[in-house]
Amino acid sequence: MFNYYLKIAWISILRHWGLSLLMICAIGLGIGAAMTTITVNYLMSADPIPHKSKQLYYVQLDSWDVNDPFDEGLNPPDQLTFTDTTNLLNAQKAFRQNAQAQANGVIEPNDPELLPMSVSGRANTADFFTMFDVPFIYGSGWTHQADVNKEQVIVLNKVTNDKLFGGEDSVGQTIKLDGNVFKIVGVIDQWQPKPRFYDITTGAFNDSEDIFVPFSMIAEQKIGRSGNTNCWKPSGDGFSAFLVSECIWTQFWVELKTQQDKEEYLTFLNAYVEEQKAYGRFLRPMDNRLSNVMQWLENQEVVADDAKMMMAMSFMFLIVCLLNTVGLLLAKFLGKAPEIGLRQALGASRATLFSQYIIESACIGLAGGLLGLVLAYLGLIGVESLYGDYMQGLATLDSTMMILALVLALISSIVSGIYPTWRACNIQPAQQLKSQ
Amino acid sequence: MLVMKNVNKIFQTADIQTHALRDFSLTVNEGDFLSVTGPSGSGKTTFLNIAGLLETYTNGDFLLDGEDVGKLNDKGRSRMRNEKIGFIFQGFNLIPDLNLYDNVDVPLRYRGFNAKERKRRIIENLDRVGLASRLKHLPSQLSGGQQQRVAIARALATDPRFLLADEPTGNLDSEMAQGVMSLLEEINQQGTTIIMVTHDATLAKRARRQVQVKDGRVSELDLVNHRAIA
Amino acid sequence: MLETGLIFRALMRNKMGAILIALQIALTMAIMVNAIFMIQDRQQQMKRPSGIDENNTFYLTNTVFAQDHNFQAELQTDLNTLRKTPGIVDAIQINAIPLSGGGWSMSLQHEPGEDKDAIGSALYMVDEHGINTMGLNLIAGENFSQEDIQWRGQGQSTWPPKTIITKAFAAQLFPDDWQTAIGKTFYISQTQPMQIIGIVEALQAPWNGWDGVERSMLVPFQMESSSSYYFIRTEPGKRDKMMPIIEKVLAESNKGRIIRRITTVEDTRKRSYRQHNATNKILTTVVATLTLITSFGIVGLAIFSINRRTKQIGTRRALGATRWQIMRYFMVENFLISTVGVFIGSIGAIGLNMWLVSTFNLTPISFELILFGIVALLIVGQLAVLYPARKAALIAPATATRTI
Repeated sequence: MFNYYLKIAWISILRHWGLSLLMICAIGLGIGAAMTTITVNYLMSADPIPHKSKQLYYVQLDSWDVNDPFDEGLNPPDQLTFTDTTNLLNAQKAFRQNAQAQANGVIEPNDPELLPMSVSGRANTADFFTMFDVPFIYGSGWTHQADVNKEQVIVLNKVTNDKLFGGEDSVGQTIKLDGNVFKIVGVIDQWQPKPRFYDITTGAFNDSEDIFVPFSMIAEQKIGRSGNTNCWKPSGDGFSAFLVSECIWTQFWVELKTQQDKEEYLTFLNAYVEEQKAYGRFLRPMDNRLSNVMQWLENQEVVADDAKMMMAMSFMFLIVCLLNTVGLLLAKFLGKAPEIGLRQALGASRATLFSQYIIESACIGLAGGLLGLVLAYLGLIGVESLYGDYMQGLATLDSTMMILALVLALISSIVSGIYPTWRACNIQPAQQLKSQ
Repeated sequence: MLVMKNVNKIFQTADIQTHALRDFSLTVNEGDFLSVTGPSGSGKTTFLNIAGLLETYTNGDFLLDGEDVGKLNDKGRSRMRNEKIGFIFQGFNLIPDLNLYDNVDVPLRYRGFNAKERKRRIIENLDRVGLASRLKHLPSQLSGGQQQRVAIARALATDPRFLLADEPTGNLDSEMAQGVMSLLEEINQQGTTIIMVTHDATLAKRARRQVQVKDGRVSELDLVNHRAIA
Repeated sequence: MLETGLIFRALMRNKMGAILIALQIALTMAIMVNAIFMIQDRQQQMKRPSGIDENNTFYLTNTVFAQDHNFQAELQTDLNTLRKTPGIVDAIQINAIPLSGGGWSMSLQHEPGEDKDAIGSALYMVDEHGINTMGLNLIAGENFSQEDIQWRGQGQSTWPPKTIITKAFAAQLFPDDWQTAIGKTFYISQTQPMQIIGIVEALQAPWNGWDGVERSMLVPFQMESSSSYYFIRTEPGKRDKMMPIIEKVLAESNKGRIIRRITTVEDTRKRSYRQHNATNKILTTVVATLTLITSFGIVGLAIFSINRRTKQIGTRRALGATRWQIMRYFMVENFLISTVGVFIGSIGAIGLNMWLVSTFNLTPISFELILFGIVALLIVGQLAVLYPARKAALIAPATATRTI
């Protein structure tokens, strides 16, 4: 019987192609709009490192001004002072720990033919690469010993290695960065977490860095730091005064295996802050936080307001499209009242008719869903070209989204079809068969 | 056999009550050709709708082939319409979107025949009404008489025991009407019981048995008037 | 009278179609009004002047990597070269670019001390050519003199004693009369005194989303820094011609540095408001599509209802109704439905706005906009029903007597 319903639906859709097209377009537009915004939101709120996002924690300590709390006291500062990062790093209380800050510099290629190039960088500790599962093509990250010994080592990303060494294995070679010689220990493969969770403060959707050097290089002034700096208290003159100041510009991540480890680490943090109070620091009430990756992304409101608002709008848009479809289906089915009466006379029960018209609605919905997918695809291209860098890579339809689009279309059309179908099934045959 | 005993049908709207059938009792035997006449609004169409299970009745008894119709649910009634009853209407009531083949196919689908059996019945019955060569035509491409022939083929395709006809020639000119009547008589001779509602006295007289409906009551007309079928 | 009562009673007998249309109109209006509101809000933000001569200015990043160099001498050479180049009006070194997204902010406070109220402001380090290069309009006080300019070493924490601020910043410091700010002394970095010597009409901060975007201050500093911007103003219309020339001149004059990211202020504004622009385009598309869909819904249902009433309309025509009267019937019908729709829509628009206000920090909607929405959708409804109504009016009176 299902085949027969399909056949009848097909004939009915073709015969009333104008009305059918109108409904398919309405559903298609609604699904297209909804899917475009859902995809953007879905990718913005994606878990960038699913298998261990619950074990990686971002550390926050409230070292801010007692008179004028950070973020009006709602959240502790979003970065740490260099002093605290260094102390926490040296304590080595977590399974893994990474101290980091953004940096930049200029590489003078060994090849005199090549022009000097400006690169974005990250100064981090050895655990960065293992904590965040950074993939390597050649070599690996540096050792803990390299951090301790303040060795001038460097990891390049693939693009930089391609530019400087034509993609060859460059491990063991040296390059000149800001006038200092660094030894290459590894080259990483394409690696672009979306969102770039490990440093939200400089843009959740920015590109990952060109080069990585030990965190100690900043204090050694072997590389210039960049990124956000926030101070509540004037620091003294010179770089060494800046390093011991209350300015926040470093970030600290820890990897903790179990809930118990997390609690123990928090206890350690609290003890640390308690100890620091003795030096006249941390005058605000104790508010130390460990946020796992998803909590941190949520806390930093990585999903843009615009994206959320657009999603709300697009759902209302979908509702209008569905109301439209309900109206048109109602018109179509009631317009078929004589046929419905006749089918009843020829032996169709209400259940039979219900199946038939629901299937017709679902067919229209499926066609609308396919159109919606095409529109969502175009919509995402449009969004990407309109927003530029900001949405780069956030506008792709994966299979989950495609299935979701079709399911959404199917459900929407069936829901839209229920009332018109119900009305159609309740047509009194006797009235429809009269000739006048 | 169709048996109605004291069947009443009351239409109830907001403030008007219409008694369409009053203590309506009638028995139609296997192989009958019954014509039902009566003035407009007498209740003859209501009778036909109830007989065809298209409408429910208010009270009374109605047995169709020994089955109590009043006890059937929508599904049971639909099945009975499909298996035992064929309809012919004044307005032909073909589905305009479907070609002739698919129109005749409709009741066969609801019956659940397999594809081969459906095809056999469709071809056989369209052949019987002389339209087997136009399977792919749409109803709108046919004349009124041809459309009514298709409707008859559709009604007969399920081998119904009863054929209910509501003014089957009402929309046809006299020549076409004659053709349709002859076809009905032929069908009746092959054993199908026919109940035909008409307001045309001449046509009514061609039936083997005539009843008249007036103010919702049925009365048998004199059987002496019955004219043998030529 | 226009058979309104009759039409209404006819509508009530077939409610569902009318309800669906009314709901569509209501939702469309709620979305439309709020979308237009958001579009206007963004447009107003984008219209705010930056205070700069945007058409004739550009900038570049100068990054020095060579180890042995004299910052002061090199900067002076560069600026002298730039300022002497024909086609160039003036040039400066600066630490940040308005609307670019990255910059420096400091707070000024009326009294010195740790726990005093302070007002944040964007901070631009320029020399006495700053006002001329950016094309700012000095409306009170005076510009820096050459003697005011100090060198700022890396990590230096002391500030020069003079500053020029924007009118908006002055108005914030002196809510009663911004002009009284001239000559007053404030404290930067909690304790260091700084005297306001001039006020410029406008100069926006680097961050367009900041509520203090109009608050900026100029500080007479030249930076001994390995990386800084050169900001350049050309003679009108010569910007695009001068950009590659300048890039080449600078790159060739000193091999120990990189000249990069040469950008016009116009492009910076575009990039700065790219999200605003994108959101506005999307919202406009949404409003247009929505209106179209609703119109098609009205057309579809009207055609259906006319098809169902063909005979009835024929009968009316046979009984003497004119074509106009038939058309009017459907137009009045649509008007009744639309009126219910826009009524619900007004409530919906305010509801949606209240939700947007509480969730996304928007401002409340204006009454005029709701009025506009009402009128717009009533007109859309009438236009949409025009075609089906005309179709109805063309039904022949003879239809009444035809049987099928």
